[in-house]
Amino acid sequence: MRLKSSFITCLLASVFFTTTAQEIKIDSSSVQTLRIDPQNARGASVSQLFEEVEFIPLETTKESLFGSVGGLRIVEDKYVFFDYDTKAVFVFTDQGKYKAKINASKMQQDEGDNKESGSFWGFNIVKEDNRNLIKIFTPKYTHYFDLDGKPVKRVLSQEDKYISPFRFSDGKTSIDRYFQKINGKDTIRYQMVFVKNNKDSVGYFPFKLQERYGGGERVYKSSEPNEYLYSNNNSYDFFKITPEKISFAYRIILPASISLPKDFFKDPTFRKDQLEYFRNNKSLIYNIGGVLSVGNNLHFKLDNYQWSSTTKRIFSYNVKTTELTSLQDLEPDSLSYFLPVNDGGSGYEFAGRGFHLYENGYLYTSYSSLSMFAFKEQSAGKKATYPALLENYFKTSNKKSNPVIIKLKPKKS
Amino acid sequence: MRNTLSALLMIMILGCFNESFAQQTTPNNLGSVKGVLRDTTHNYHLKSATVSLFKADSTLLSYQLSNNYGEFSFSKLPLNSKMYIEVSHLGYHLFRKNFIITDAKAPLDLKTLIIATKDISLKEVQIKIPPISMNGDTLEFNAAAFKLDSNAVVEDLLRKIPNITLWGDGQITVNGREVKSILVNGKPFFGGDFKTATQNISKNALEKVQVYNTIKDRSNPLDSTLEMNLKLKKGKDVGYFGKVGGGMGTDRRFEGDASINMFSPKVQAAIIGASNNVNKIANSVGALTANSTFKGVGTDVEYQPDFRQTGINKTFTGGVNLTYNFIAKPDYNNRNALTANYFEQRKFYDNLDDRETIVTRNTNDKLFDRSISKSESNNDNHAFDATYSLSTKGSQLSFTPSFNFNKGDNSSTSEQSTFNNENKLTSTNISSSNGELDNKRFNIVARYNFRPQVTYSNKRTFPGMTINYSLGVQDNNSERYNVTKFRSEIDATQNRDFNRKYVTQNDNLNQKIDFELPGLMSWLFGYNASRIVNVDAFNNFSNSTNKTNSKVEDLIVGTNSYQPNDSLTNFNQINQIDDSFGLNLSKSFNKSLSNRFNKSLSFRASLANRLTYQDNKSDRSFQNIKRNYANFIPSASISHNNNQYGEFSRSISISYNTDIYIPSLQQLAPIIDDSNIYSISYGNLNLKEATSRSLRFNFSHNTQKNKNNVNINLSGAYSTSDNSVMDSLFIDEQNRRVNYLVNGDGTKNYSGNLNIRKAYKLKTSELQLTAYSTFSAGKNPGYFNSVFLYSNSLNSSNRLSINYTYLDKWALEGTQSFSYSQSKQAAFNTEYDTKTWTSTVSTRYNVTKKLSLNSNISFNSNKASKNEAINFKIWNAHVAYRFLKGNNAEFKFAALDILRQNNNIINYTVQNSVTTGTQKVLQQYFMTTFSYYPRKFGKDAPKK
Repeated sequence: MRLKSSFITCLLASVFFTTTAQEIKIDSSSVQTLRIDPQNARGASVSQLFEEVEFIPLETTKESLFGSVGGLRIVEDKYVFFDYDTKAVFVFTDQGKYKAKINASKMQQDEGDNKESGSFWGFNIVKEDNRNLIKIFTPKYTHYFDLDGKPVKRVLSQEDKYISPFRFSDGKTSIDRYFQKINGKDTIRYQMVFVKNNKDSVGYFPFKLQERYGGGERVYKSSEPNEYLYSNNNSYDFFKITPEKISFAYRIILPASISLPKDFFKDPTFRKDQLEYFRNNKSLIYNIGGVLSVGNNLHFKLDNYQWSSTTKRIFSYNVKTTELTSLQDLEPDSLSYFLPVNDGGSGYEFAGRGFHLYENGYLYTSYSSLSMFAFKEQSAGKKATYPALLENYFKTSNKKSNPVIIKLKPKKS
Repeated sequence: MRNTLSALLMIMILGCFNESFAQQTTPNNLGSVKGVLRDTTHNYHLKSATVSLFKADSTLLSYQLSNNYGEFSFSKLPLNSKMYIEVSHLGYHLFRKNFIITDAKAPLDLKTLIIATKDISLKEVQIKIPPISMNGDTLEFNAAAFKLDSNAVVEDLLRKIPNITLWGDGQITVNGREVKSILVNGKPFFGGDFKTATQNISKNALEKVQVYNTIKDRSNPLDSTLEMNLKLKKGKDVGYFGKVGGGMGTDRRFEGDASINMFSPKVQAAIIGASNNVNKIANSVGALTANSTFKGVGTDVEYQPDFRQTGINKTFTGGVNLTYNFIAKPDYNNRNALTANYFEQRKFYDNLDDRETIVTRNTNDKLFDRSISKSESNNDNHAFDATYSLSTKGSQLSFTPSFNFNKGDNSSTSEQSTFNNENKLTSTNISSSNGELDNKRFNIVARYNFRPQVTYSNKRTFPGMTINYSLGVQDNNSERYNVTKFRSEIDATQNRDFNRKYVTQNDNLNQKIDFELPGLMSWLFGYNASRIVNVDAFNNFSNSTNKTNSKVEDLIVGTNSYQPNDSLTNFNQINQIDDSFGLNLSKSFNKSLSNRFNKSLSFRASLANRLTYQDNKSDRSFQNIKRNYANFIPSASISHNNNQYGEFSRSISISYNTDIYIPSLQQLAPIIDDSNIYSISYGNLNLKEATSRSLRFNFSHNTQKNKNNVNINLSGAYSTSDNSVMDSLFIDEQNRRVNYLVNGDGTKNYSGNLNIRKAYKLKTSELQLTAYSTFSAGKNPGYFNSVFLYSNSLNSSNRLSINYTYLDKWALEGTQSFSYSQSKQAAFNTEYDTKTWTSTVSTRYNVTKKLSLNSNISFNSNKASKNEAINFKIWNAHVAYRFLKGNNAEFKFAALDILRQNNNIINYTVQNSVTTGTQKVLQQYFMTTFSYYPRKFGKDAPKK
């Protein structure tokens, strides 16, 4: 699903740098060019990059069984995530204890509603009356649940006021990913919108309807407070956005052999059958996504059609030292009990999405028990002393148990 | 979908990692070695790199991929002998390390081995290719890494690869999954028979064996099938191979064949001819090609002449096959090829059989019928067919015209005597028949399939269609002379003599159009509607006209001239229009849990009607029949697939079908030929169509572990018929049968099949176990001499076989089979049964690389009801010697049926009878053959 939306995002978008009078001018004065050659990415040992590693096996019961962790959020020391396999939101404690599950059957239905009206594909966390609530959109209603999975309220989706998830600390300024302005007969569409005082909207990066803009994640939290990183997904460019300023921050340059042709998004011959083009040119990077700004490090994911577990896709780039690290090639050591901190190299979870989250100084990832038990078997000669939680997991679980969350504290670089 | 595919792939890769680092106890005289691979340039462990272990003489001992920690470990290695490992990985220089293990107690630790990247300038010692590597989604086995005899073929290589199993019946599995097709450089090779590719192509011409999943139905990744592509070395995609061979034997036995197969990236051409009188019959160019492969140096137990074949067949066969690929590197969405075949088969057949049949007429009333028949036939068949196929993205088109000409003559004589319960002769009959036939047939089949890309939006889009059209024209002519002399020992007035000539001309025109419109819901109501239920509409229409002109004449006694027989001479024309139409409704549910399982449950129901219009025009008024039939023919199925990653895949399906059998003119209103003394069947104009309802069950379970996988297939069927056409049979004391056809309910049939196979790959040998069992049982109602009764039948066949191969030195196969047939009529208190036991032991031993010995012996035991068992043994042996540099020439001496005991036993039961006897068969002969295999892969190097 994510993959599909990423395709759409990158395939159908197009760039136009035009500005109008009321716009904040994009400041290109301090753009930094990052030259990234995946072939030169180096590995590192876990303890070189991290100072803490914690494995949190998620409890497996009949009720709590799920496929994989998606859209992880940490709320009040609880893990909240969505699972595409069971189409449900799960809540686990920070020790991996199962707390709650919200699936379609928990949605309060009206008489005569069909089954589809309760289905959903994700969630949001909102704060109301000092309470964190899980907000779920279904076709008809927006449902609110507390962290114990108990329904709090529901409102008709059309009445539920849309609030951009990308808000600045003043509460009045925000950015978002789509905007359209009706100008007489014409409708002008923009890839990004900057909203001031909750009402004055200015569009950026206009595009034509037949060009379509790509969806998917394009706005990322920056490591600086009150700042977002934005990519319009049809170039390898990143912008820093604060309530006052939009600045062209990074221009990523990849080796020519894996770069899209310069006119890729403008030339209609490419646009005609882009999927086919990517299938025939599997090494080309069609998107840079999964951006996390961790101190001086920019974590990102290079997407192409070359699909094998050993292809290097997830990187960390130090903007100060220009050092490029392949995060799939981290070497387990005693800090991680000789267990890999991601499944890069044998599984597909990390290669597919990178880290879930960077919050409060910790990075989070997860992988399957199938991988966990394979790694344990492979590391049998290393005499690791597992912490109680992990020791107990290896004793009581098996390769069909729920995935394990890995919590990592990066060293300050 | 990507996730499912990835998981399937992950399981495939995991099968190639070393088993475990947990140290196992090793015997005292064996040691082990371990190490860690590291790329210091990039500062990480090297994962999934290929580590190959060699003896000092460069013999490959083992290989594995380094694990997630860059580690490798080999155990059970000889002590104090020189060995080396080679590490290879894409983008890295080849690394080699020599070592000797001296200590059996602790593994030799090679510690961290630094593998240099390609961008570091290093003097490359030697470019070597690893045995196994992953290239994206493709698992590749590299031929160069496997040291084999220079004359080895692809099959010999496949046997060497631990992940691949070659089964006795030709099936190939990779990590437990069946390979469905083998391509050579992306294209089918001379018709696609596995053997043609694997037993001919030189291992030295092969670059690598690629194994990957292909998906036909993109919405269901579990539907993916495993395909194997043999990628030839650069420049080796042009070449030829063939065979010239001939043998002479005792008893005037001979065999000879010649073939040449040429190939280039775009063209494949084969010319082949063969002749023999040892019952080796091939019915197509492809089958002939598959029977004359080079074979390499392996130990497969060779195919032996079929001594159970009835009669003696002398055949002259030959043909040409031509394939032109307009696209040199085709893929699923881009194919454009033309194939043409011409095949001629001339067959001379003669047979002699001697049989006795016991027929129950009533309780304690039996007839004993003895007959000796001799038959001979000559047949000359020419077949030409061509196929043009074009595939583009979303559509496939093909045309297949074919011609068939068949000319022949046949003659037979038969002497029959019938005895009653008191062993008194009641009748005799001597008959002979001579005839000629001349048949011509033309067919054209056109298929078109269009499936535009699926859009998931709710826009109504045309979902595509499938149209198949076929036209068939036949012109059959025959002339036949029948002489019958029936003598009744009870009543001389019943004696009959006939000398009849039949000239029959038959013209047939048949057209069929099948049309399918899939995805109606998304077309009419948008994609979301198709998620509720998928609906396909179909209409299958056929129209046939069959004209028969029969001229029958009787010889005027005492003269040489014939006079027309007006009661049998007739003209007849049948027109039949058939139309089945309806809707297929289907719905699937899918449940998957990442890295755990993927399950699907599918329902399908077909609501269809079949309308048939039958119009028979004849110069006989009673045969002028017009009938209409309209029937509802529903069918339904449920299937469940369960794929547990790394453990097993299992599928279960149950289906229900309705079939309609419309009575033929011969059943409704036949013209009775009184010269058929022993069997006269009267028609019945009141016959209705029969409706058969059947229920089928299928179960398959395949484990998908790292090794020693097991495959189980089980299937069963039950069917019941209403209004089935049954016999009301009267058998008189002279075994003359008069049959009246009536409709009746209560026909029931049961059947079942079980197939289990398991292979154990050991270090130097392989053991394969296969078990096969099948049974069918039926309960058929009918009248016998006015008594209504049920005939119960049971047939079963069972086989257990064990196949053991040791290196490429020795192969042994043992097979035990048992078949049983039984027929019961409770009303007459009759029960007949037959049993056949066969135990076979086959072996091949390669004395040297050039000389091989083959032998097989089978012990046969046949028993019919209370008769004594008939036991006999067939023992065959041959010695083959290959010579010349490329083993291109072979001298073979074969001794067949050494004990001269072969017997073709007739042994079967039908309803109220049991038949036993013998037939003419191939018996002892000795043969010396010489064969030469010209073969070349790649062009000559330019002369300097």
